[in-house]
This record gives sequence, structure tokens and C-alpha cells, in this order.
Amino acid sequence: MIRTSIATVVLLSATQLFGATFPVLTASNRVVRELQIDPSGSVWIDNAFGSVDVIGGDGKLVSVTIDRTITAPDAASMKEAADNVVLSFEGDTKVRLIHTILPETHAGHWNAVVNYVVRIPRGVNVKIASKVAEHIRVSHVKGSVTVNGFAGTVIMDGVVGASAISLVNGRIIYDYLQRPVANARVQAVNADIDIYPPPNSNFDWIATTINGDILTTFPVRAPRFSGTLFRGQIGSGGPTINTETLMGRVLVQAKGTKSSSARSMRVYNSRHQPGPGDVLLQPPEKIQVPFVVGDFVSAASVADITIGEVRGNAHVEVGAGEVELEAVLGQCMVTLMGGPLRLGDIMGALFAHTGAGDILVRVARMGGQVTTDGGLLLVKAALGPMTLRSGGGDIVVQQTSAAIDAQTSSGDVTLTGDPSKKTLKVTARTLQGNIILNVSPRFKADIDATILTSNPDANEMHIDFNGISVSREKVGKKTRIHATGKINGGGERVELYAVDGDINISAKTITPIKVMSPKR
Amino acid sequence: MPDCDAMIENMPMLLTESLDPVQRELTHQHIETCPKCAREWAAYKETWQTLDTLPELEVPARVKQRFLAEIDPDLRTNVVPFRSGRAARWLAQAAAVVIVAGGAFYAGNRLAPRFRPTPTGVELIGAQTLPPATPYYSIAETRVLPAASINPQIEGRPDIQNVQFTDASASSDQIGVSFDITSHVTVTGRPTDKSMVSLLRYVLENEDRESPSRSRAIDWVRATYSRLDKPDPQIAEALANVLRNDQHQGVRINAADTLQSMQSAMTDSTRDALVEALKNDPNPAVRLKAVEALAKLARSGAVLDPEMVDTLQKKASQGDENVYVRVKAAEALRSIQPR
Repeated sequence: MIRTSIATVVLLSATQLFGATFPVLTASNRVVRELQIDPSGSVWIDNAFGSVDVIGGDGKLVSVTIDRTITAPDAASMKEAADNVVLSFEGDTKVRLIHTILPETHAGHWNAVVNYVVRIPRGVNVKIASKVAEHIRVSHVKGSVTVNGFAGTVIMDGVVGASAISLVNGRIIYDYLQRPVANARVQAVNADIDIYPPPNSNFDWIATTINGDILTTFPVRAPRFSGTLFRGQIGSGGPTINTETLMGRVLVQAKGTKSSSARSMRVYNSRHQPGPGDVLLQPPEKIQVPFVVGDFVSAASVADITIGEVRGNAHVEVGAGEVELEAVLGQCMVTLMGGPLRLGDIMGALFAHTGAGDILVRVARMGGQVTTDGGLLLVKAALGPMTLRSGGGDIVVQQTSAAIDAQTSSGDVTLTGDPSKKTLKVTARTLQGNIILNVSPRFKADIDATILTSNPDANEMHIDFNGISVSREKVGKKTRIHATGKINGGGERVELYAVDGDINISAKTITPIKVMSPKR
Repeated sequence: MPDCDAMIENMPMLLTESLDPVQRELTHQHIETCPKCAREWAAYKETWQTLDTLPELEVPARVKQRFLAEIDPDLRTNVVPFRSGRAARWLAQAAAVVIVAGGAFYAGNRLAPRFRPTPTGVELIGAQTLPPATPYYSIAETRVLPAASINPQIEGRPDIQNVQFTDASASSDQIGVSFDITSHVTVTGRPTDKSMVSLLRYVLENEDRESPSRSRAIDWVRATYSRLDKPDPQIAEALANVLRNDQHQGVRINAADTLQSMQSAMTDSTRDALVEALKNDPNPAVRLKAVEALAKLARSGAVLDPEMVDTLQKKASQGDENVYVRVKAAEALRSIQPR
């Protein structure tokens, strides 16, 4: 019933490879086995490094041919590899597990590649696990197929049964020889997905990608997006083919058509109702230019934008990416769903937001609104009134010449007033952290500062000015420390509120930050 | 030495500060003059520190219940939860402050000098130059001083806190006044000096959580240590502990960001902290910094263990994760060569 043949082929050579100064030994051997299997049984293949070919046919046995190739710098390493790279055949006629066993770590600098060719009865189910494979090809199989790989090219060729393919890096090619009749779920991270069904196919298509495009040569019925998830019907609909990749492209191309005739499903159509996250349907962009004459408008799913100077207004909307605008002569409106934002000299009104990441603004001449759902906010010079919000992270304004309203849910707020301003309106709140306000000794204000703390011994109010009265009261389990009063005769309202932190109003001689005159 | 065995027996109590003052002083003096016991003491302290870094595990309710059932019912009423946390940390901090500040005050008054600048280049500013034969200044001690050795002229109005008094007893007419004393001490040295690294690690991990200087301390560490080719892994580990434990989101963001710039100092534990932050931190900016650090690590060709790869893979595929975090996770995965 089981035939085994083992042929050790060669101990090849000591080679000098293109200037390499060390010898390389290569040894290959082949293992051939035949195993019985039930017609509806399963074959599981676990091969970390090497290609796997599974071919369905009319036979009744599982026929396995395994080529093991070891490359090593010396005989000792070669022996270590030969002893440690082991083939295992387990299971019974219901489930056959064929496994390449590798040591978790090894001392020698050897390398082993094990290639499998497995012939199975057509109706058998197949499950393949791999790390790196030049290719994994499954062809002419009617049973279900599961492939889980890290890197390589996965090819499904004439697979009829249900399938689930997951791959991190590489490419997935799904070639249907007949109309799809079972569900297929194809998932990737950094891989393109190509599906080739016959032109008369009927199926429901789901697709999503962030960095790539969604293309097809089929006419699609009822195309619609829900966020980044696209749904459409090919023909009269049927089994679901789900194609998901993060950074790759999805192509569903009818056999006999040209890929150049494929249309993008991400392009807006007139029936599309714009919604949150629509920017993710835009193509990715990478822009690096020294200057833009006039307005700069950009919307991209994934972007890396660096511009020296925008000589007009800037309107940037990005899904994920990094944006750096060194100077904007007009208004500046930048929105990122996630990623850091660096803004230089912004002459007009500023509106900047990121869903996650730090925002650095060098000069906001007209002020504006800067918000992050989580991250640090740093404004070097605010010449106009600013609203700053962080969902969690410190807020620092190195010099403000106008009103500031800063709030963070967890983080320190550090604000420094322009020493030439006699009074400034300041509102600062942190729900966990400290507030530090640095002003000149001549600063005038009506102070209203509150600390709400569960540890009144640790959290303190330090105010370097006279004329402040401080009260303490219990509020539930917390203590409220409240300071009010006019400093230097009173001025604009300074309202500070810190939970479980200190408040420090420091009077000191501040060296003003010099802001260069705008170049027009 | 004949005393060595007794002194070694005293060491566990010395560590927990449960030795009586006289024995404590005697043991310290012995350690300072006996190389063998000094080695033993260093090993004890290292073990103690290691124990301190181990995670606290919650006792399963079932085990706790069985344990309480086994013990004497009278004792059971006395069983109260052992609380570590803030108070214990403050005690440790206070102890450290005492030795630093007390040492400076002590040296400043020419009293029984017990520390000297380390040979690695760290020196104490504000403390007088000390005789070269004096032992190292240790940073986890309390000490007992005879009143006769204290300069009667107390200068500089030192900040004395936590004062306690010991009455004279029938057998002795000695009284005692205990206190914490703080003064400002500056320690200078090269960033690579072991003593400086240890001190900074201590500051990063133990500084008052509410201190306004906390974020600033991390900024300073980044500015100082990211310039070095090979920063000391202790600094990275201290930042990893901050990333794990600090409740202040701004501080955690800073810690993760600083770790990103200290790739060459990363240890397995540091990487684990980044993975943990990427998995569980509620602040998207912390996860973002963590994934950026791991992506940078992957690009540098470092081997990432399977758990890291798995976490990155899950993050890349997690539909409700911030899109930038997902993209960066994908970028990291693209650079990985599985082994």
C-alpha cells in the first residue's frame, strides 16, 4: 500500500561564487512516498521554506515527492542541517499531515529549502502552511483549499471548492477554469490579488484596499462602497468572492479581456453619497516638490507629502501618511486620518487635524485650530488666537501672542506668553497632568486656577504672583484647590484646570522668539 | 573574616530596612571594608532589583480562598492585602533622596565622609572633595550618625521632613532624631558612565508621576542618548518600563518615541514593551509610535520573533485600527524576512 523510495542525489561541490571567498556545499536528496487517503479526506502540508505544488487528479493515493536542498559553508554545518531538517508523515486515511520539521534556532550558517510536489485525488481537501515559498500552486482540486503563507506567490489554478487564502507579502493569482461555484476568501497585506474568472461568471464580489486600486473588466451591478469596502454583483450574482488587501491592488479580470480595459471601482460615481473615510477611496500619492505656485489641493488614501512652499492656499486630505508643508502663504487646511503633521510658517488661517500622531507648527501667523485624537501638539509661535486639542498627549506653545485655548485628556500643557504682551486670554485644561504657564513678571490677568486631585499632598499650585487667594475643599473623594485673584491689577481671564496634576504660573524673564517677517 | 557570616545573615534585613539602627550601621561599615561582603551585598541588591522588575501577579481567587481556609481562623482576620504601589515607591524614593541629599549635607559639613566621586567620571557638585580612600557613595541606605560628629552650625537651612523621635530607655540615655533631609545635588559625568546610566534609569522609573519634569526628562534623555552609537540598554529598559506603567499618556508617547531613536539599545524586554503598547495601549499615538519603532527595527534587518510578526499581522488586518497604524504595520511586515 505504501511505497517509499529515497534517493540521495548529490553532494555537490565546493564552489567559489562570484568572488565569494568561502566555499559553499550543497546537498540535495529526494523522498518519494505514496499514502492512502479517503476520497473526502484532507491533506495538510506544513512547509516553512520552499515551494509547494498540489495537483488534483484521478488517482486514489496521495503521492508525495519532496526535494530537500541544503546549503552550508562546511561539512559540520551540513551534517547539522541534515540531522535537523526532518520530514514527518503523520495521520491516517482521513487526514494526512506532511510536515517539514526545522529547529527553532541553529548555530550553523546553513540554509534548507524543501520543495513539495503532492498529487492527490481531486476531491480531497487541502491545507497548506508556509513562511517563504517561491510559489504555492494548487491546481485541479475540487475539495476545499486553505493556504496560509507569509511571502511568495500563491496560485490557485482550476480550484473548484471553497477556498481561504491568506498571504502577507507577494502575489495571489486565482485562475478559474470554470465559473465560480463556491465562496472564496482571499486576504493579503502587501500583495496584489488577481482573479481570472470566465466571462460568463455569476458571483458577488467584495473588495477592499487602502493603498491600491479595485479594478475589473466585468460590468458590475449595484456597485457601492461602505467605507473602504466595495460590493458589487457580477452577472446575476452567486457565491461570494472576497478580495481584501491593505497595500496591494485587486483585479478581477474576465478571461479573454485585457487588463488595460479594467475600470477602477474607486472612482466616484454620481450616485455615491460622500461619507467619512471617503479619502481612502482616492489613489495614493507621493509628492515632494520645493514649491507650488497657486493653491495646492490634494486628497489621497496613503500619502507622503513634502512641499517647501505653497504660494496660495493648501487643502490636503489624507488617509494615512506624513505631511510636511514648510510654508503656506494662504490658508492651510490639512486633515489626516492618521500620521504626523509638520507645518512651518502658516500665513493664513490654519486648520489641522490628525486621527493619530503629533502635530508641529512652527509659526501660525493668523492662529487657528490644531487637533489630534492622540499625540503631542507643539506650536513654536502662535501670533493669532489658537484652539488646541489632544485626545491624549502633551501640548506645548513656546510663545503665544494671542489667546490660547488648549485642552488635553492626558498630558501636560505648557504655555509661554509673549513677553511683549501685557495680558493674554488663556484657557488650559488637562484631565490628567500639569499646567505650566510662563509669563513675564509684568503680566496682568484675572486668574482662575483649579486643581482637582485625589492626592492633595502631591499636587500643588505654584503661583509666582501676589494677590491670589487659594482655597481647598473636599469634593467627594477628591480635593479641589482653587486659586483666584488679579495679578498686576488684573487683565484678561486666565482659566486653568488640571486633574491630578500641578498648576504652575511662573513669572520669569522670557527671551522672546523672533519670528521673521513673512516673505511675500 | 570572622564577622562575615553574621553580616551576610544581616543582608536580607538590611535590604528591607528592618535591621535595627546599630546593626545597620555596623553592617554597612563592614561591607565597606570587606571586599567579599561588598560583592555579596552587590549581588543581594541586584537580585532585589530584579525581583522588583517582575510583574505582580494576581493570586487566583480559588488559591486565595484555599489558603485562607487552611490558616488559623484567628489569623484570618489579620490577613490584609499587601499593598505595594505608591507608598512603597515613595519610601524607596525617600531613601534614595536621603542618601543623596544626606550625603551632600554630610560631606559639606566634613563629617565622616562616606562617599567619593566614582572613578568613572561622575562627581558630585556641591559636595566637598573627599579623601580618595573613602568608599563609594551608595544610593539606597539610611544611616545613623552620632551627634558628636555633626557640625553644630547647621548652614543653608536644609529641608528637613518626616521627623521622628526616639526616647531614652532605661538601659541607655541615648535619644534619637530621625528625619529625611533634602538638598539639591548635581551629579555630572559622561552619558556612558555606568553610575550616570543607573541614576537616570532610577530617575525615569521612579520620579514622581505627577512631576512636571517627567516628559522633559524623557526629552532630555532622547536628546542625549539618541546621539550615541550604542546607548546603554538600561536606558532603553527604563523607557520600556515607563511605556508599560505610566498612566500619563503624554509621557508614554514620549517614551515610545524615544525608544524609536534608540534601536541599538533595544533588548527583548524593550521590544516586548513596544509590542504590548501596539497591542493594548488605548492612545492611538502610543500605538503609532510603537509600530513606527517596530517598523524601523524590521527595516534595520533585526530578527523579530513570531509574536511580534503575529501582532503586526493582526494590526495590519484590524479594520477598526487607525489607518496609519495599519499602514505602518504593513510596512514593517514588508521588511521582515521570516526565519
